[in-house]
Amino acid sequence: MKQVLLLILFVVLWSSPVFAAGKQYDLRVDGLACPFCAYGIEKRFSKTEGVANVEIDLKNGLVVVKTTDGKSFTEDQLRNIVKDAGFTMKSMSENSLGK
Amino acid sequence: MRLKKLTVIVFVIVIMVLMSAVEAAPITFNTALPVAKDEYLFRQQFVINQSGKDPGNLNRDRTAITAVTTLAYGINHKFSVFGVLPYQIIELELDMAGQRVKRDNSGVGDLSVFGRYIFHQHNQPGETFRLAAFAGLKAPTGDETASDNIGSLPPAVLTGSGSWDVFTGLVLTQQTLAYQFDGQISYRVNNEANNFEAGNLFRLDGSLQYRLWPRSLESGVPAFLYGVLEVNLVNQEKNEAGGINDNNSGGTRLFISPGIQYVTRRWIAETALQIPVTQNLHGTALENDYIFRVGMRFNF
Repeated sequence: MKQVLLLILFVVLWSSPVFAAGKQYDLRVDGLACPFCAYGIEKRFSKTEGVANVEIDLKNGLVVVKTTDGKSFTEDQLRNIVKDAGFTMKSMSENSLGK
Repeated sequence: MRLKKLTVIVFVIVIMVLMSAVEAAPITFNTALPVAKDEYLFRQQFVINQSGKDPGNLNRDRTAITAVTTLAYGINHKFSVFGVLPYQIIELELDMAGQRVKRDNSGVGDLSVFGRYIFHQHNQPGETFRLAAFAGLKAPTGDETASDNIGSLPPAVLTGSGSWDVFTGLVLTQQTLAYQFDGQISYRVNNEANNFEAGNLFRLDGSLQYRLWPRSLESGVPAFLYGVLEVNLVNQEKNEAGGINDNNSGGTRLFISPGIQYVTRRWIAETALQIPVTQNLHGTALENDYIFRVGMRFNF
């Protein structure tokens, strides 16, 4: 019985936010109109500490940024990274990534 | 002396090469699209310039093959700097004293550096409009005094002009997911070196790139295949030799340049053929047959 309780406790802890999960930011970016230019944004985010993955949907002007565990960005930080690549961030939404 | 008139062709080539930049965009000139901050772009282009229509009696036939290496760096999202270095192989055949003579030369050409500033941009979903100004300097890094067994080579066969020249211009870009339009106006001031001064150069360029494939966009970042049609109007003033105008140099050329461009996230492959549709040149200045371009650009 004690072993079962320990196992349940372990599973609960493992799946809980005690281990800080990463974030997902969905960015609406204006000015994205060709694959070669889109890579400029991808490079900027890839070089940013704490970014685990970047995906771009050219058709919808969507840039999805996933961070490593415990890392988060402010809206201004994201806006500046997009700006440095030569584009304009119009809006963003933020979600926690479940462990 | 008449061979100096061929420098018109040399400078047309050099200008066309130097004004090419590295973003996804026109094949024969610049664009106003951004280079991301702290990022590099690299371009390697090969240009074959063939001129064989000689209105004079020397029956000149000139071929120049140029490998143009371009590196761009984004200082910030508005300002980028470019370095352009050509390597040229030039061959000129002509009738001289009743014989067919070949004169040739090869080597690194003149280095150009320029800056480009995007002073206006308007971004919307899936499209962008930008205006940029650029200005630069051409340094005399090429060989300006080469000779062969006949004697000193004429400017048309030299890889360098020997002069420090300046150029400036404006470029606009309207880019959407379906097409892109670029337009450019530019002017170059050529200076004197070795008792010779090539005529100043004015250019007006336009480019339309239309997405042929994929016909409809899906998610992600698919590669694009563009059909390209460009127009290049090039006007050069007369050269000066020893302070005297050369009446067999300079004039106006108009090129129509169909091409194709395959654009991926990290590289671009492209080719275009510049076909002269009108050449209103002074005196016996040598006319172009065609200019062929093939190259790649890399985003790294």
